[in-house]
Amino acid sequence: MNRRAFLKSVAGAGVLTAAGALATPAISQRAAARVLRFVPQADLANFDPIWNTQYVVRNGAALVWDMLYGVDDKLQPRRQMVESEQTSSDGLVWTFRLRGGLKFHDGEPVLAKDVVASLARWQARDNMGLMTKEIEQELVAVDDRTFRWVLKKPYPKLLVALGKVGTPSCFIMPARIAATDPFKPIGDYIGSGPMRFVRNEWVPGAKAVFERFADYAPRQEPNSWLSGGKHMLLERIEWIVMPDPATASAAIQNGEVDWWETPIADIVPVLKKNRNVMVDIADPLGNIGSFRMNHLHPPFNDVRARRAILTAMSQEDYMRAVVGDDALWKPLPGFFTPGTPLYSEDGGEILKGPRRLDAAKRLLADSGYSGQPVTCVVAQDLQITKAQGEVTADLLRKLGVNVDFAAVDWGTNAARRAQKSPPGQGGWQMFHTWHAGAVCIDPSSYTAIRANGDKAWFGWPTSAKVESEITAWYDARNLDEEKAAIARLNKAAIEDVVYAPTGFFLAYQAWRKNVDGIVKGPLPFFWGVSKAA
Amino acid sequence: MIRRILATIPVMVVVALFVFSLLYIAPGDPAAVIAGDQATPADVERIRQSLGLDRPFLIRFGEWLWHILHGDLGTSIFTNLPVAAMIAQRVEPTLSLMAVTLVIAICVAVPMGVVAAWQADTLIDRAIMAFAVLGFSVPVFVVGYLLAYVFALELDWLPVQGYTQISEGLWPWFENLILPALALGCVYIALIARITRASMLEVLQQDFIRTARAKGVGQTRILFVHALKNAAVPIVTVIGIGVALLIGGAVVTETVFAIPGIGRLTVDAILRRDYPVIQGVVLMFSFLYVLVNLLIDLLYTVLDPRIRY
Repeated sequence: MNRRAFLKSVAGAGVLTAAGALATPAISQRAAARVLRFVPQADLANFDPIWNTQYVVRNGAALVWDMLYGVDDKLQPRRQMVESEQTSSDGLVWTFRLRGGLKFHDGEPVLAKDVVASLARWQARDNMGLMTKEIEQELVAVDDRTFRWVLKKPYPKLLVALGKVGTPSCFIMPARIAATDPFKPIGDYIGSGPMRFVRNEWVPGAKAVFERFADYAPRQEPNSWLSGGKHMLLERIEWIVMPDPATASAAIQNGEVDWWETPIADIVPVLKKNRNVMVDIADPLGNIGSFRMNHLHPPFNDVRARRAILTAMSQEDYMRAVVGDDALWKPLPGFFTPGTPLYSEDGGEILKGPRRLDAAKRLLADSGYSGQPVTCVVAQDLQITKAQGEVTADLLRKLGVNVDFAAVDWGTNAARRAQKSPPGQGGWQMFHTWHAGAVCIDPSSYTAIRANGDKAWFGWPTSAKVESEITAWYDARNLDEEKAAIARLNKAAIEDVVYAPTGFFLAYQAWRKNVDGIVKGPLPFFWGVSKAA
Repeated sequence: MIRRILATIPVMVVVALFVFSLLYIAPGDPAAVIAGDQATPADVERIRQSLGLDRPFLIRFGEWLWHILHGDLGTSIFTNLPVAAMIAQRVEPTLSLMAVTLVIAICVAVPMGVVAAWQADTLIDRAIMAFAVLGFSVPVFVVGYLLAYVFALELDWLPVQGYTQISEGLWPWFENLILPALALGCVYIALIARITRASMLEVLQQDFIRTARAKGVGQTRILFVHALKNAAVPIVTVIGIGVALLIGGAVVTETVFAIPGIGRLTVDAILRRDYPVIQGVVLMFSFLYVLVNLLIDLLYTVLDPRIRY
């Protein structure tokens, strides 16, 4: 008996027992071992993975809704709900057949009409979905298990689109739910995946509960990321939101939680010393830090000013400020995730070697900059953006830039970056963020690499060369063509400075030693995870 | 008395107008937060329109007020759940935390203040006042971390975090509240102890105390019956004011101990610009505060028959 149990029994024997209120049912050790307590990266405040593209929503949704395809750890889309697909020789007609025995959580079978409705909703919100919509001639259910997609031009990346991990992923919902306006949230969470969302136990901001769906039919192949057999070895998964990392640290050390998705670097040494806790890299695809400039307003509407930043910035400074631990980061002379097939350093020389402040000052002067205030919006409530912002402020001062450091919270940052007005009228000239490495493996979900002016991501870069190379990647028919297109894209994006990458960094995850089956990946995969008593 | 109760209505109306206006002019955009980091500006704009955030201030305020008058606090922009239901989910943990804190604080602070006044200018008095200064000076989160480290991590006596509903048993409920209530109660204990001491010192100088002593009344009876009752008005006032302190402190305490209460709901809503939730919570807290002050006012008439409304 440990001390807490002893205290409980003493208290129980005393006044509290007299009150007759000790009614907690005992949970057997075996039952407790089937319940996993998980601390997610953020609060699951909403549970519509199409309407809300936050990663935490996608991570929970991956438990509740299945996908037609899912990427494996080689980043290849594999069949998931689909049993087979056929494509015409001209690549215009795709016919898909669903696996038999697929069921929604209300017991209804998954039908082709549900898939068609889910695809339609996803298309409205996803970059690749929009592209498929533009070239779509017909998307129809042929019978209960078959649907046909007819395109006006070939789209070689169709399976990538359906199985990608970038948000919004293409989750399959019942047709009546998928009929919801894609710009409004759903209110019904009947899923098609291995776990059921327990809505009546959901406390947004605090807790989300998932229970095993007994009628889920997993594939027979071994699981690999979003693909393969999603065999659930846990009966119940409780997501417990802990905004304070110190609390989460104490809770995992104390055994009150089993798995912590994002322990901060400062706390990791403490966790590593605890013999009951394991610590390892969470996602091998990591993250890319981003220094985003506004291409609409001076000085960064001039490419020389943007190049001045690339010439002077030290990724080492940024990464040490962001993660500290040198084992967790590497320099990134490009825009794509290191270690993935399309990674390229073409054109990245400007980011390599000793930093050249004098050359940067000259570039800045050539751009016409003469001491006007430059507004740097920095979200203070996120450690990654705060750290990057402080390094940038120091860098700009070294370059002689008159920095207007706007310290805000992320909510304000998110609103302000959408402003196209000049900085003096509520706009901005730079802000910082980061992009998940899983998104930066190719241009499919990588909105930050786009340079299509008004339609581009915040900062609104314009570069015909960048856009044409993105198109070339979509049109590529094999890996060699894809690599060539991405190399040219990387070079063009650096030349035009779509944004300034501040480096590549990894993060840790931590779990109790009695939990087994945790793998490294772009999101926490719960299938195959078990917990010993 | 009725006039005193009716006076709370304009207060609530002013609070409602103030809260709505404040959120309207505050920077930030819930649509941008909802859309996520990958969303394009066009997505953000579509979501803003679908939420009705592009409509004029007066129309939005009028609609909100109309719904409030019909008992509808609206729907959360983020969770798509009714605000009233979200608040209802969170009320029990916060009220439990506040109630346990209040009980602990009053049980500890009032005797401390009485003893300090009785032993004025002695070592005991100075020790109690030193503790009070410490209680004021150390932030709630520091006390919280220290308590969690000692009693949860090192001694393993109590849980680090979380909340168990009272329906699941009294001990599990109380076990989760001990550390947060102690952390939150520190400032409150310090405040009440100091006021009790000051108030008691004043009363203990009065003639009726000297008379009681001359009649041979025991020290304990003099302190806790004769003096304390007459010193009660300022103490009760401070307890009432302290409810606001508790509300503020609950935000921090609930974060440190991962308690799913109203405080965390408020912080989350503010960070996301979830306007209906912020408005609902602030209205509820305002109502609670007005109610507590009303009760305190009514209590005055019991404690001091000279007070009339």
